Amino acid sequence: MAANGVSGTRMAKWLVSGPPLLYLLVFFAAPALIMVLASVRSPGEFGGLAPLVDESGRLDLNTESYVRLFTESVYLQVFVKSAWYALLTTLACLALAYPLATLIAKSPKKHRDLLLLLVILPFWSNFLIRIYAWMIILGPNAALARMVNGVLAWFGAGPVPLLFSAFAVLTCLVYVHLPFMVLPLYANLEKHDQALLDAAQDLGANAWNRFWRITFPLSLPGVYAGSALVFIPALGIFAIPDILGGPDDTLIGNLIKQQFLETRDWPFGSVLSIMLTVAALLLAGIAAWVGRRGAAGAARA
Amino acid sequence: MNVRALAAAVLAIAAFATAPAYAKDQLHLYNWNNYIAPETIKRFEGVCQCEVVQTYYSDNEELLAKLAAGATGYDVLVPTSNAVQALIRGGQLKPLDKTAIPNLKNVDPAYLNTPFDPGNQYSVPYAMSTTILGYNDEKMKELGLPTDTWAVIFDPKYLEKVKGRVTVLDSANELFAAALKYLGYSANDVDPKHWDEAAAAIKKAKPYWAAFNASSYIKELTVGNIWLVHGYSNDIFQANLDAQAAGRKFHIVQGVPKEGAVLAVDNMVIHKAAPRPDLALRFINFMLDGRNSAELTNLIGSGNPNLDAMKYIKPELTKLPAVFPPKDVQAKLEQLKDLTVAQRRLRNKLWTEIKASK
Amino acid sequence: MRRRSPWLWAAALAAYAFLYVPLIIVVVYSFNDSRLNAEWVGFTLDWYRKLAANDDMLAAAGNSLLIALTASLVATVLGTMAGVALHRYRLRLLPILVLAPIAIPEILMGVSLLIFFVLLNFTLGLVSVALAHIAFCIGFVAIVVRARLAGMDESLTEAARDCGATPARAFRHVTLPLIMPGVVAGALMAFTLSIDDFVITFFTAGAGTVTLPLLIYSMIKISVTPEVNAVSTLLMLLTLLLIVVAAKLSPTLLRSDRET
Repeated sequence: MAANGVSGTRMAKWLVSGPPLLYLLVFFAAPALIMVLASVRSPGEFGGLAPLVDESGRLDLNTESYVRLFTESVYLQVFVKSAWYALLTTLACLALAYPLATLIAKSPKKHRDLLLLLVILPFWSNFLIRIYAWMIILGPNAALARMVNGVLAWFGAGPVPLLFSAFAVLTCLVYVHLPFMVLPLYANLEKHDQALLDAAQDLGANAWNRFWRITFPLSLPGVYAGSALVFIPALGIFAIPDILGGPDDTLIGNLIKQQFLETRDWPFGSVLSIMLTVAALLLAGIAAWVGRRGAAGAARA
Repeated sequence: MNVRALAAAVLAIAAFATAPAYAKDQLHLYNWNNYIAPETIKRFEGVCQCEVVQTYYSDNEELLAKLAAGATGYDVLVPTSNAVQALIRGGQLKPLDKTAIPNLKNVDPAYLNTPFDPGNQYSVPYAMSTTILGYNDEKMKELGLPTDTWAVIFDPKYLEKVKGRVTVLDSANELFAAALKYLGYSANDVDPKHWDEAAAAIKKAKPYWAAFNASSYIKELTVGNIWLVHGYSNDIFQANLDAQAAGRKFHIVQGVPKEGAVLAVDNMVIHKAAPRPDLALRFINFMLDGRNSAELTNLIGSGNPNLDAMKYIKPELTKLPAVFPPKDVQAKLEQLKDLTVAQRRLRNKLWTEIKASK
Repeated sequence: MRRRSPWLWAAALAAYAFLYVPLIIVVVYSFNDSRLNAEWVGFTLDWYRKLAANDDMLAAAGNSLLIALTASLVATVLGTMAGVALHRYRLRLLPILVLAPIAIPEILMGVSLLIFFVLLNFTLGLVSVALAHIAFCIGFVAIVVRARLAGMDESLTEAARDCGATPARAFRHVTLPLIMPGVVAGALMAFTLSIDDFVITFFTAGAGTVTLPLLIYSMIKISVTPEVNAVSTLLMLLTLLLIVVAAKLSPTLLRSDRET
C-alpha cells in the first residue's frame, strides 16, 4: 500500500476531516441515536413511541424487540434472501459496468464527459416511471415475454411470468444501481496508465493476461467502492419488490417499512434497521480487509 | 472561478423558488392525491380569499407516522376511520366548533355518530370507498367464474383457472379482513384462532396469486394482463374508464362479495396544532355543501355520505352498488377498527410468515 | 491509434442499451394518448400542455432541482474532504459515520431526522430536506474520492510541498486536479440521489413543501399519468443543459480528463 505521504500535522488533519465529521455528527449520528434508543423502548399504543417515563415514573426500557428478532427465525430467513439478491445485483452490475467504464475511460478525452453524462442521464427521470417502463418491457404480452415463452414452449416448458417475479425484481435492482458501479469504476480506470499496458503487450502478454494481471488488480479499489455503493443500498430496498415483485419477493426492506407504516412498531423497526446496518457495515469491513490484503498481494506481484 | 457563478445561479433559483411569500392567508391541506377536484379548490380559494397549499400522502400510515414523529403545520387532514380512531386516542386532533359547520346537517345520519367518534366531536365524513373485487368481465365469463364471492380469490378450485392473473392488496389489514369475511367471521374479529385460520386460507391461495400489490395492479388490470383483483372501488371505477378510453373490448367491473366487504370512510379533521383553524372550519363547511362534495364523486367515482350531494352526482354513478351500496349490501359492509399494540404485533408476525412462506 | 476490442464495444453498447431502452419508453410515452403508462395508443402533445398549466408540478420540479443542486454541491465539498481524510489519516469515527448513512434504511433515517428537527424546533421546509439529503450523499462522494486516491502517487504532492507550497496550495493545484474525476463522479451520484429521493424527503418536508418525487409517489395508487413522463423528460433535458452550460463556462474546473 502506498505510503501515507504528505504531512500529518494535527491541524491539517482536523481541517480536512473536521467539517464532514461535524456535519455527520449533527445530522446523522444524533438523529440515528434517537432511533437506536427507540429500539429499547415500547411502541406507543396508537403509533410512535410510548413515553420514555411511564405513569409510575419509571423509565420504560426493555429488550423485547431484540428478543423477538432472535427468537423468530423468519426474519433471518428474509434477511438472507435480501443479502442473496443484493449479491446477485452487485455481480451483475459489475459485469455490465466494467466494459462500460473501460470504454469511457479509454475514449478520447473530449468524449469522456459526455459518455459519462449519458450513463447517468436516465436516472434524472423519476424512479416510478422508469419502473413502469420496465413493467411494459416485461409485460406478458410484450415482445420479450413472448420471445422467452416461445423458446420455452419449444422445450415443452410452460410459460413463466417475467413480471411480478424474482427476475423482474433483480432486473430492476441491477438497472437502478448500475450507475453507482459505473462511476466509481470509471474514476479508478481513468487513471490507469496506458503505457503500462502497451509495454506489457510489447513484451508479449496477450489481452487476457493484460487484463487479469494488470488492469483488474489496479482497478480493485474501484471495484470495491462500486460494490459497496451497490450492495449496501440494495440490501435495504423496498420499492422495487412492492411495485413489481411476486408474492414471494419480500425483502428485509419491506419488513422494515411495514414496522413503521403498518404495524406502527417503531422499536422493532429500529431493531431490524440496526441489525441491517451492522450487518452491512460488517460485510463492508470484511470486504475492505480482504481488499487490503489483495492489494498488498498485487503490489508484491 | 466558476464556483461563484454556480453559487450565484443557485441563489437566484432559491430567491425565485421562495419568492411567493405574499402575505396571503394559507390553508394547509394534507390529503390523498387526486382526492379533491381542482375546481373545488379554486372555488374555495375564491370564496375565502386565501390560498390552499396541498401536500399529499398515499397511505394513512404515512400520515400517522409523520404526525407521530411530531410534524406540524397542517390544518386539515383526511384520514380514514381507523386512522381517525388512532389520532383521536393519541390526542392529535382539535375538536370541531359545530357552530361553524352548519352544513353538517347534509350528511346521511347513517354515517354520523360512529363508535370511534361519538357525536362527531373531531371528524366529519368526506368520501367513501369499498374494498371489493375488480374483474375483467370477458375473461371471467369465459372461465365461468363467480364474481360475487371472496371464494374466487381464496378457493383453489376457482384460482386454478386464473393462476398468475390475480392480485391482492399488499395490506395485512385489508387482506385479513377479506379472509375473515370469506371464512364467515367479522372483518374486525380479533380472535387469534380465527386469525390463524385466515392466515392458513391466505397461504393456501398464495401460490395462485401473481402478486401482493397496492400500487400498480390497476394498470395491469386495465391493459388485460391481470384479470381479477382485490382492490379499492375508486380505482376499479377509474380502471374501467381508462379501459374504455383505450378502446378495449372488455369492461372492468366492480364485484361486491356477498359475504361483505370493508367500507373505508375518509373524514376531514383538524390537527391540534393547526395554524389556521378558522380557515379549516370554513373549508370543512364548504366541503359539506352538496355541490362541492359531489364534484369529487363525479371525478373519481368515490362514495358520498352527503345526502345533499345526491342531486349533483351523475346518475350512472348512483346506480353502482360498490359506490352507493343498497341497504342489503350496506348491512354487510364493515369499517375497520384500529388494533392494539399486541394485536398489531401478532398480525405482523402472521403477515411476515405468510410473505416468507413458499 | 490502438484499436479497441470489438468485444469491449459490444459489451459496452449492450450496457448502454440496457440503460436506454426503458428511458426511450419513458420519453415516447410522454406523447402517449392514454392516461395509463401501459401501452401505446396514439400521439398527442396534451400532456406537455397540461404540464405547462400545472403550476404545482412545475413548482415541485423547481424545488427538486434547487434542493438537488444545493445538496450535491455541499455534499461534494464535504464528501471530498472526507474522502481525502479517510485516505490520508488513520481515523476511527469518520469511516463509520461515512458508511452508515448508506447502510441505514431510509425510513429509519427519515423518521429520526423528523424527530430530531422537531426536538430542535427547526421549521420543516426546503432547508430541512436539503440538510437531510446532504447527510446521506456525503458517503457516496467520500467513497468514490477515496477509491480514486487509493494507490495514487503521492510523490507529486510531496514534491510540491518540498518546493515550498503550503498544504492548501498543494491541494488545490496538485491533489484536486488529480482526484477531479472522482469528485465529478461523486457529485453526479449525489445529484442523482437527491433529485429522486422519496422516503427521507417525505418525512423531512414541511407542510407546504412538495418535491417532484413526493408529488409523483402520492399518485402511485391513482395511476401515474404521462404528465409525469413529460415533466421527467423536461427535467432530464434541463439538467443536461445546466451541466453542459456549466462545463462550457468552467472548462478548467470540471473537465474530468485533466492531466498534470
